[in-house]
Amino acid sequence: MPIQNPNPNKKKKKHSNQDDDEDDTVQGKQLTQFEFCKVCRLNHKQGRRHIYFPNHKNALSSFLSRFQSKLKNDVAFYLKKPMPLRPEHAAALNRLWCVFCDFDILESDSSFACGNAIAHLASAEHLKGVKSFLWKYGGGMDRMDSFRISESDFTKWEKKCKLLKSEAAGGGSHGSLIGPLNDIHNESKSEYVNSFDKNKLDCLTSDVKCSNTVVPLQDHTIERSQISHSKICTVGPQMLHAGTGVGLGARTPNGLPGFFGNQHYTHSVPKEGPAYSCPNDGKQVYPYEGIAIGDRHSQGTSSEESRLQSLQNLTQISSSAQENGGGNVHSGAPPPWFSAAEKIQLDNKLNQGLGDLVSSLGEQMKTSKLNPKRVGAAWAERRKIELELEKRGELVRHDFGADWLPNFGRVWQSGSRKDSRKEFLGENKTWRKVDSQIEKPSQLQPYISKRMRTDNTAE
Amino acid sequence: MNYLLTTLTKKQEVDSMIRDTIDKVLVLCFGRASDSIFLQLDEILYKSVREVSKFATVALVDIDSDDVQVYVKYFDITLIPSTVFFFNAHHMKMDCGSADHTKWVGTFLRKQDFLDVVEAIYRGAMKGKLIVTCPLPPDRIPKFQLLYKDV
Repeated sequence: MPIQNPNPNKKKKKHSNQDDDEDDTVQGKQLTQFEFCKVCRLNHKQGRRHIYFPNHKNALSSFLSRFQSKLKNDVAFYLKKPMPLRPEHAAALNRLWCVFCDFDILESDSSFACGNAIAHLASAEHLKGVKSFLWKYGGGMDRMDSFRISESDFTKWEKKCKLLKSEAAGGGSHGSLIGPLNDIHNESKSEYVNSFDKNKLDCLTSDVKCSNTVVPLQDHTIERSQISHSKICTVGPQMLHAGTGVGLGARTPNGLPGFFGNQHYTHSVPKEGPAYSCPNDGKQVYPYEGIAIGDRHSQGTSSEESRLQSLQNLTQISSSAQENGGGNVHSGAPPPWFSAAEKIQLDNKLNQGLGDLVSSLGEQMKTSKLNPKRVGAAWAERRKIELELEKRGELVRHDFGADWLPNFGRVWQSGSRKDSRKEFLGENKTWRKVDSQIEKPSQLQPYISKRMRTDNTAE
Repeated sequence: MNYLLTTLTKKQEVDSMIRDTIDKVLVLCFGRASDSIFLQLDEILYKSVREVSKFATVALVDIDSDDVQVYVKYFDITLIPSTVFFFNAHHMKMDCGSADHTKWVGTFLRKQDFLDVVEAIYRGAMKGKLIVTCPLPPDRIPKFQLLYKDV
């Protein structure tokens, strides 16, 4: 009888791998447990060694640089220049996921843009989170400060916020003009830059309505800066003043992307200066910066003004087009040459086509999934065909015979399985012979000695 | 005997079972209904039949029936309950650390163990392997002494 071992197993082993499954394997080595690396997004049993592997290091650098760029674009900019947060933007778009503390910072009730985020990044809990993250994932403890806001910066920001509030509350017309003007200019710029964050179009259209003095330009051009250059002076004091003037203005249409890449960098990372900014085109960096921002020495020539006018015209047209609200490529609306009726027809056709595709795919999936190398594949295919034929009634089911035996590898066997079958059949025959031989002398007869028998026969 | 799974008593039934199970693991358990361990095995099988139904079929074979004795000899069944695995009419072996790889002797300690074993067999069979290693740790595998030619 089989000897059954009682099972004093204390450890529970689960069939499927789950995220935080502990798999203690005591094999003479250390006890390794499965951990989940947030950076590489995988489960591993490598323990503390994992953070030194090159794959992890690469993943970590990209992970942190992504978060850092978010911080720079968003938070650092608003840290320098606090702006009131519009409630329409606050709802769902203004949020930041803090990767160190693993939680989402919503801008639900803060009066200033990124207020909650800045407050969180300056807090002590965040500092703890950053420390533990860097320790766990090996980012380098010296980089801690780049992921948080120091207290001095935070207090400065708060002061600026208070100033703004007081200005907004009790400020005169000039003050009020300056406020929204600044906001329009900077906010729209930053929104261009942070397109994933805010809905720029709504903001711009609303701004058009609220202030008549400043024309909302969607293009960041030299001329635009000149309109409100006196107001911009606070933004980028560190910028170069070397402006080559008008000649470069002509390049604006082509050079816009590069330019606005510069704008982005110059505004959001003022500290690091021009050396850090545009990776696009080295040539464009200096001249554009000079003209764009701190250029108080620019010459307001008539040619520039006319260019300004044309630009103004351009922008007006575009804004009115968007005010129609007909939808665009980004919202996924159909192109205008696509009439509604045709669209419905096409949709129906597509749905039918998709349905057919799906069903045929399903069938194909079933048949193509089976590995041709699987055990008994050839036999299975033949058998399937046989069964189908039998179903159809074409092929009469032929008996396999009472002696059919499956392919079996015997216990004490050496050689192929066919041999085992032959062996068995051979053995079987001997057994059968033995059986039949035993069966014959069924009648038991008393023993008669030879002498007796011979006596009998003789007699 | 409605408390057992489909029990086969004739060789022809077993044959048709083996031949008709295509691309699924066939689990044939040989045993005697009066045996308590066999009943325990049946209990576990009954609970898991539905769960493995997409890739496995389970059947019981009564070793007391005469017709099936050929198989009893062919598969070298000396200890009951014994379970033999087939895939596409090919016999699947499993290395459980015991001497006999051709069958599983004894019952399963848990339903999950049975599922693991069947899954291992299925995975190996789909890859084209005729012998697979047992996924269970040795303390979960029932131990037995293999008799060699009635020694």
